[in-house]
Amino acid sequence: MISEDITKLIPQRDPILMIDKLIEVDDDAALTCFSVRAGNYFIDEDRWLSETGLIEHIAQSASAWAGYKAIDAGAGTPPVGYIGEVKNFRCYRCPEIGDELLTSITIGSKIAGITLITGETRVSGEIIAGTQMKIFISPNP
Amino acid sequence: MLLENTYYRIIHVKTDGLSAVYRIAFLPGCEVYAGHFPGNPVCPGVCNIGTIKECAMKLTGQKLFISTIKQCRLTAIATPDGSPEVDIAITAIPTGKGFLITANITDAEKIYMQYKGEMTI
Repeated sequence: MISEDITKLIPQRDPILMIDKLIEVDDDAALTCFSVRAGNYFIDEDRWLSETGLIEHIAQSASAWAGYKAIDAGAGTPPVGYIGEVKNFRCYRCPEIGDELLTSITIGSKIAGITLITGETRVSGEIIAGTQMKIFISPNP
Repeated sequence: MLLENTYYRIIHVKTDGLSAVYRIAFLPGCEVYAGHFPGNPVCPGVCNIGTIKECAMKLTGQKLFISTIKQCRLTAIATPDGSPEVDIAITAIPTGKGFLITANITDAEKIYMQYKGEMTI
């Protein structure tokens, strides 16, 4: 388990902070978790987290990987990451309040500040969503 | 949460069958900017995807679920101050289970998003 507070690794804050913990990280992979709670920005009028909330959760999981690497290399604050492309996103079902999301990120090629990633989100072992993304990571000065 | 009238407001709509152009204004007071990012408000790409979904639901008259996104390119950063109004041009093609939605978000100067994916009923 990575001990750093998630707010040291990514610049997003409430109400759009979409990960609780970076659980594991290595050179080309990361594992994160997030508990779906009432009051979350992406909860609909019933009790479901939207598909867009899942996309944001996966993007922030990749951002946490980049933040961990940057802090590990000596940066004082985490880099800001922007989604450049979402490709081949599939959502099988939306999670609901009380679900625990476990998301694995695989880092692909890194070219000119653009990192290709693949993310897959599970709830209790069931894959509920997956996607590829391009993330722009702008390092802080 | 519903993004209409919290994240954006519709200014006007031109509809032609299953195609439409929604002119929207981003609302700078939206709570999302407290976190995205503190002191540096940037329209979250996922909120713009959510806005396309809400416009697609108005266009088709159906409650929709984003089952796939074939490709969504985010080609420029939108901010509530720098790009206060944008056009969302959207087309829905029936697929049997729902609609293939294509949408572009633009203003006079920039293309912000090019979106293609299936939304199911």
